[in-house]
Amino acid sequence: MKPSLLSAITRPIVIALAIGGVCGMLFVSVLNEFHHFASRNEFCTSCHSMTFAEASYQQSAHYNSASGVRASCGDCHVSPGLLASTWDHAMGVTDLFKQLFGPDYDDPVINALHLPESAFAARAWFRKRDSASCRHCHRQEAILGERAHTAAIHREETEGKTCIDCHTNLVHRAVPDERTFKRAAWNRMIEQEFGLEPGEAEKLLATAQPAPAQRTATQQE
Amino acid sequence: MELILESLQMLNQLPAYRIGPIALLLLLAHNVAFSDKVELDPDQWGHEAGDKCVSCHAKASSGLTSEWRQSAHQAAGVNCMDCHQADAAEPDAIEHEGQIIATIVSPKDCARCHEKEYQEQQGSVHAEAYAIIESRLPALAHHVGGPVMRSASCDQCHGSRVAVRGDGTLDPATWPNSGIGRINPDGSKGSCSACHGRHRFSRAQARTPEACVRCHSGPDSPDQEVFEASKHGMLYAAQRHEMNLEAPDWVAGRDYTAAPTCVTCHMGAAGKLPATHDVGMRNMWSLNSPVSHRQFLVVFEDGAKMELPEEADIPRRGSELSRPDGTLAAVKVVATPERRRKAMSMVCLECHSKGLTEAFMTQFDAVVELFNEKFGQPAHAIMAGLYAAERLTPTPFDEPIEFTYWELWHDEGARARHGASMMSPNHAWWEGMYLVGRNFYARFLPEARAVAGERAPELVDAVIDGVESHQWLKDPHQPSLILGFGPQETRQ
Repeated sequence: MKPSLLSAITRPIVIALAIGGVCGMLFVSVLNEFHHFASRNEFCTSCHSMTFAEASYQQSAHYNSASGVRASCGDCHVSPGLLASTWDHAMGVTDLFKQLFGPDYDDPVINALHLPESAFAARAWFRKRDSASCRHCHRQEAILGERAHTAAIHREETEGKTCIDCHTNLVHRAVPDERTFKRAAWNRMIEQEFGLEPGEAEKLLATAQPAPAQRTATQQE
Repeated sequence: MELILESLQMLNQLPAYRIGPIALLLLLAHNVAFSDKVELDPDQWGHEAGDKCVSCHAKASSGLTSEWRQSAHQAAGVNCMDCHQADAAEPDAIEHEGQIIATIVSPKDCARCHEKEYQEQQGSVHAEAYAIIESRLPALAHHVGGPVMRSASCDQCHGSRVAVRGDGTLDPATWPNSGIGRINPDGSKGSCSACHGRHRFSRAQARTPEACVRCHSGPDSPDQEVFEASKHGMLYAAQRHEMNLEAPDWVAGRDYTAAPTCVTCHMGAAGKLPATHDVGMRNMWSLNSPVSHRQFLVVFEDGAKMELPEEADIPRRGSELSRPDGTLAAVKVVATPERRRKAMSMVCLECHSKGLTEAFMTQFDAVVELFNEKFGQPAHAIMAGLYAAERLTPTPFDEPIEFTYWELWHDEGARARHGASMMSPNHAWWEGMYLVGRNFYARFLPEARAVAGERAPELVDAVIDGVESHQWLKDPHQPSLILGFGPQETRQ
């Protein structure tokens, strides 16, 4: 008798496959749930430092839209797709590391002083992925706009460009392009905003990780 | 260099008395302050990215591109990037669609090609229009109005000190602005588009009187109204189609004779007098001051210029002089008031005889001197006395007489003097000196006496007593029918 394929499916194999399948599905489900869990605004803003980004986001069209569509932190800053999103979240651990051991991003002044570098990194991230998270919701060929030529511009003037090349500073505090960014001018603006003496920003940036007690003292000033 | 040679040749052809202004131009041409900005030779015109700008902006802001399409720039192959490209290190540089550009095209940027015009314009009263008033402005604009008025009014003409914010954007309190004395992020002063409307930059448009109207109209400098009410304006209105406004050089007397415009007399070429972008160079008098002065024009080695009243110590060439901003600079050349007057007169001579020109200037000077001696100087002396006696607080405009005094010279007095300078009889008298006189006798003097109180004879009347032209007040018994009451009706 010729051994049939069916005869190879023994009871232990069926059990193993079943358990493996269930575990696999569970694993994927957990990943998926984690992706959703970790892309929620509440998750991101559980670090105080992220609430500054949240404040500007809540003033933006990506938060307030007439249609009721509301993009979450993860909708823009985590790649679509389970594998890519898992990867992005794994990489996000570096942000957690910086939050715990880096400069005191919870301090509004430190946060604002470091914002440009964050913006540059975020833009590079979008560019590297051809603005995949933008394109998850926005279809370039379907953009009509309200003005006469918006559709034509998106059809004819976008060769070699990705969304983020033109659409920066949509949601968070405006930061210049890295090529024209002037650190000194940015520092002066932040100092003026928080009532600091000129030059204070450079000192704060130099002492990247002041002891918590010192920071508290500065905040009270 | 070519320019300097041209000027040298011109000098040889001119009678001696004409050398003054030409020499001045020549020396100005020497003064080349090279910028560290993007430089551009004609063989570099037509930046490779320019087509993309036009393609997108034809959709995004089609008015802008269609104006450019009709410009001489477009015809010469000069595109958006040729003017707007910037170095990333410039304060107002931004990234735009992959290119580093600046929104503001400053005179220094225009100087990539238009260097002669830039050199002439820098240091002119136009270029200094904001710097001159910057420190005085708040006492009027902020106190009497409010700081927000500046961008909507004062700065529209005088210009703003454009501020680039830390995030690279231009501060909306200071931008948009195309005021003629705008202080640009690159440090240059002025705005070429104040007169040369963007993006067509038509020379014909800039040569029309309408190019000046945005600022030279209204109560304090009613030059539009004065011009329109003058014989010159009358001819311009009737013969505008004969003005040949598109002519390349537009030399009065050669390219057109139909009428003069503002540009003709203050900037334009006339006969052998070259055109200049220093609008105040031909002005002998200061006409917008409490008291008019015959003015020397001092040109410094670094290209800056300064007006000095005739009464001041006039520096010699090569000497050092301290400037209002506190810096010390070497004097390159000094133009006397007479030379400036001669430059202006050279324009007149293209259409008028020398005798008529000189006689007109005599009439004009007499009005300015009348204003000075009868109203400007006495009013100034009275105000100075009231301040010195602490009858007035140092803060301007917190007492009614300060408005009265302001309007006396800044509005009514300026109208009278401008009216006489450009031959509008109505502005010289009814809109001008009549109102000066009415203000002086019916508002200023009564208010000054009230403020001076018991010291009025010393602080007010003693000043008037010393001025011959006010002595008619001493005889109250001179009846006239001007008011409809003759000797019969007014007899006591």
